[in-house]
Amino acid sequence: MASQNSVMAYNDQVLVEEKSFTRILVLNRPKQLNALSYPMISRLLDLFVAYEADPNVKLIILKGNGRAFCAGGDVAAVVHDIRKANWKSGAQFFTKEFTLNYVIATNTKPQVSILNGIVMGGGNGVSMHGRFRVATETSVFAMPETALGLFPDIGASYFLSRLPGFFGEYVGLTGARLDGAEMLACGLATHFVPATKLSLLEEALYKVDSSDSNIISAIIDCYSQQPYLKDQSAYKRLDVIDRCFSRKTVEDILSALERESMSKADDWIKNTIQSLKKASPTSLKISLRSIREGRIQGVGQCLTREFRMVCHFMEGKLSKDFFEGCRAILLDKDRNPKWEPARLELISEGMVEQFFSRMDDEEWDDLKLPSRSNFVLPRHAIAKL
Amino acid sequence: MSSESPTDRASRRTRILSNHLTTSDLQVGGNSLQSNICLSYSPPELHEKIEFEVRKMRELLDVHNLRDRDWLFGLMMQSKLFNPQEKGGKVFVMPDFNHTKEQQREMTMKRIEYLLERGVFDGWLTTRGPETEMRKFAFMETLGIFDQSLAIKIGVHFFLWGGAIQFFGTKRHHDKWLRDTETYRIKGCFAMTELGHGSNVRGIETVATYDPKTDEFVITTPCESAQKYWIGGAANHATHTVVFSQLNINGRNQGVHAFIVQLRDFDGNICPNIRIADCGHKIGLNGVDNGRIWFDNVRIPRENLLNSVADVTPDGQYKSAIQDPDQRFAAFLAPLTSGRVTISLSAIYSAQIGLAIAIRYALSRRAFSFVPNEPEVLLLDYPSHQRRLLPLVAKTYAMTCAGNYLKKMYVKRTPESNKTIHVVSSGFKAVLTWHNMRTLQECREACGGQGLKTENQVGHLKGEYDVQSTFEGDNNVLMQQVSKALLGEFIAAKKKNKPFKGLGLEYMNEHWPVIPSQLTSDILRSSNFQITALRLRERDLLNRFAAEMSQHQSNGVNKEYAFALGYQLAEDLGRAFSDRIIFETFLNDEGTVSTGPMKDAVGKLRSLYALTCMEEDAAFLRYGYLSTEKAAAVRAEVAKLCSELRPHALGLVSSFGVPSAFLSPIAFNWIDSNAWSSSSA
Repeated sequence: MASQNSVMAYNDQVLVEEKSFTRILVLNRPKQLNALSYPMISRLLDLFVAYEADPNVKLIILKGNGRAFCAGGDVAAVVHDIRKANWKSGAQFFTKEFTLNYVIATNTKPQVSILNGIVMGGGNGVSMHGRFRVATETSVFAMPETALGLFPDIGASYFLSRLPGFFGEYVGLTGARLDGAEMLACGLATHFVPATKLSLLEEALYKVDSSDSNIISAIIDCYSQQPYLKDQSAYKRLDVIDRCFSRKTVEDILSALERESMSKADDWIKNTIQSLKKASPTSLKISLRSIREGRIQGVGQCLTREFRMVCHFMEGKLSKDFFEGCRAILLDKDRNPKWEPARLELISEGMVEQFFSRMDDEEWDDLKLPSRSNFVLPRHAIAKL
Repeated sequence: MSSESPTDRASRRTRILSNHLTTSDLQVGGNSLQSNICLSYSPPELHEKIEFEVRKMRELLDVHNLRDRDWLFGLMMQSKLFNPQEKGGKVFVMPDFNHTKEQQREMTMKRIEYLLERGVFDGWLTTRGPETEMRKFAFMETLGIFDQSLAIKIGVHFFLWGGAIQFFGTKRHHDKWLRDTETYRIKGCFAMTELGHGSNVRGIETVATYDPKTDEFVITTPCESAQKYWIGGAANHATHTVVFSQLNINGRNQGVHAFIVQLRDFDGNICPNIRIADCGHKIGLNGVDNGRIWFDNVRIPRENLLNSVADVTPDGQYKSAIQDPDQRFAAFLAPLTSGRVTISLSAIYSAQIGLAIAIRYALSRRAFSFVPNEPEVLLLDYPSHQRRLLPLVAKTYAMTCAGNYLKKMYVKRTPESNKTIHVVSSGFKAVLTWHNMRTLQECREACGGQGLKTENQVGHLKGEYDVQSTFEGDNNVLMQQVSKALLGEFIAAKKKNKPFKGLGLEYMNEHWPVIPSQLTSDILRSSNFQITALRLRERDLLNRFAAEMSQHQSNGVNKEYAFALGYQLAEDLGRAFSDRIIFETFLNDEGTVSTGPMKDAVGKLRSLYALTCMEEDAAFLRYGYLSTEKAAAVRAEVAKLCSELRPHALGLVSSFGVPSAFLSPIAFNWIDSNAWSSSSA
């Protein structure tokens, strides 16, 4: 019964359309805001791999059905699996997901993701690593993991760390939401297309018979606009963000923010401090270190490192904050997680270090990324290695 | 570019891309009759296997403050001040060496201000202890990876000026200057070298005369050869300096002492009775404002004498706890060892940069085929290319461990260990900086024409690092000092009939080491044989050196001239001593690695290091430590080790931990970074 369900889910939760050399993949779980289930990830991985070998496929479009692109990985299901069996069954989800992220990051076929509506967590993992990311006026981006007792995973330590200045630290630690204009400004999106023009854009992309990035980019350009970046945008405070979020430790970042807030009353700074204080202290420290390491690593190294980290969170030996976060935000919804340790100063460098070590389990291996040596990768993929 | 229409461009791109596909088909299908296929860049990451964990190997090399280093790398990568440039889809940071020297100096200063603001220098002078010192070393190494000028400008301010205040000064100086130095409210420099005197500090000609009537010293540059020369920071930015000068009290010279003199006011105007000129454009380090200084009877308060070793009372009495002027001078300069420690380490990190670039290039650049119509061969698959680069990798590994040993010894220093630190740091400074220059030259040549481009680092770094064999002690002079110290140990042991103790010379109390009669591969790779060979050389050279010295002296030659005549053995002995200690530190670090692929690789590097030492130094043949047959066996084993290390090459240079942004375009997608579309961007 379960297997029949999952076969159905495999086929129904990602819809595929074929238009000459273009393939349109539609995330189809609208009630769950297209949150990525295990069957969806499996299907996406199979499709991306198959398209690479298929000369009749030259372009991949990824979009969501309904008002969201994708709200993230189906974390509730992962927690359920772990409760039912053991942490390893939950970790399997990430094995598949991170492999998918890697295949997307190093794909030989260009991908255009239409980021209409919410794009969060795992949703960024299937889009940000692709060549083109189209934001709209309805886009809402976030990597909200620190509030959930986790850390920005799915290779976020690669792409967040490469945003201008220390914007990546800001976005990754606070879970700040960005709109389409902000996504374009900081480089998370490559284009901004008004939602009303999306169907025209898609139609134009159906006619593409080339994998050349320049050609595809030129087509999207035809429908693009320069959006208005709102005055209160965090991106307009890059100088403050750089001053504070460049600091060495989370504690230093917080005190830098507090110094700023003393020198002038500012709601944005207050809210920023507030979101840091609400987040799991363990998550904050680990996320900061992950982004800092990611800055000097390739995308594959980032994913294998993040996989180790996520396994530690699933195992729950070093920290139970992930389960507590899921309880408070997703299950009981009391929005009042009790983090353990509860304060930043209780978390030593040594404790953080443990999350980056290999799992102490002979039956558990590091993430083995698929070999890409038989492909001639496009330049933007080569640059990510 | 402008003449080309988008459609033309598109069709040209399509042609290039389809050529790429043909190439990949070729690799799979093996149809080799196609001509005119174009090369595509194949990233080493995709075809090279890494058998050990790079993270662990990096820990073996970097050892301490890894998070601090990564943070600082990030600080530099994320700021426009560090001149980020996109090439081939990757961002590289590097100073703009096309700037004039004035522009480069201003950029260096701006970068320092940025780092200061972000808290990089917090506690550098206001906290003490091994932890602070190790963190400072880590930061200096990291800054030097970006730009040697930046590291030197910071080093002069904190280690030379700041260090002089800390070590030569007393509480009154600490209270007055250290905090202001840490925050750069004042900018310090260090005026020791003169036009007429460099390594021989005791011969400097600047004079400080005490005037009891005003309770002041009067500093004078009596002649042109006494002008202070090469003073980093003096030409543009420094507000204060430590001046080294002969101290004249009541007509009596008390030797070299250090004084604080203000050079500029806080608006940057040069103070009265001081003249400053520029040293001009240099072959490297143009981001440092080296200047020349003349003192025209500059009056400074008596309290500006840095008085940790000696003081002058208001009525003009000279007081020092150390009566012997030789000892006084030695005690005085002892703390300056930190300069040789940082130089040794920065040399090693520079060699790491050069090798990471040259090896990565050799793993992606092909030339010639072994068989007609077959694909061309990767440079690193040529045994000759392996022999050029891999022994240098092995040496760099060994010397990194040696550098770490030196650092640890320095931060744990005691009055008793000062002598050892002096000897070891002298030897290491010479050997490591020479190694770097040789490595950079080999890497430059190994990168062919690409090595000549400034953006590709390996060639340009030669100019930046050349000074290292000269400053903080000329390398040849330092080597002679090592040999002098060893001779002192030898004479002390023989004359007093006491066993050798210290400097790792204890083995000289045992029987003479013996080289096995048969050198099999196993023996050649055993650390036992390797240490035996290195000790045999050192011990024999020391005996020969001692014999030569006593021969000269019995012929009536004075001691100093005898040393000058014995330069050949002195130089060989200094190297033999340094090589032996480097080997021991590497072997020791190898011992900390647990069994597995990483230990295998380190073991091979250690063997390659030791055998290369034997292959390259003619002393092994000249004095018969190795017969010609054994020397041939050593050489054959070197080649074998090179081919065995070839598969580890990418892992070995990745473990240097230099982020890609600090390497260069030829280390990555050099086809794309040279594409027409990149040139026109």
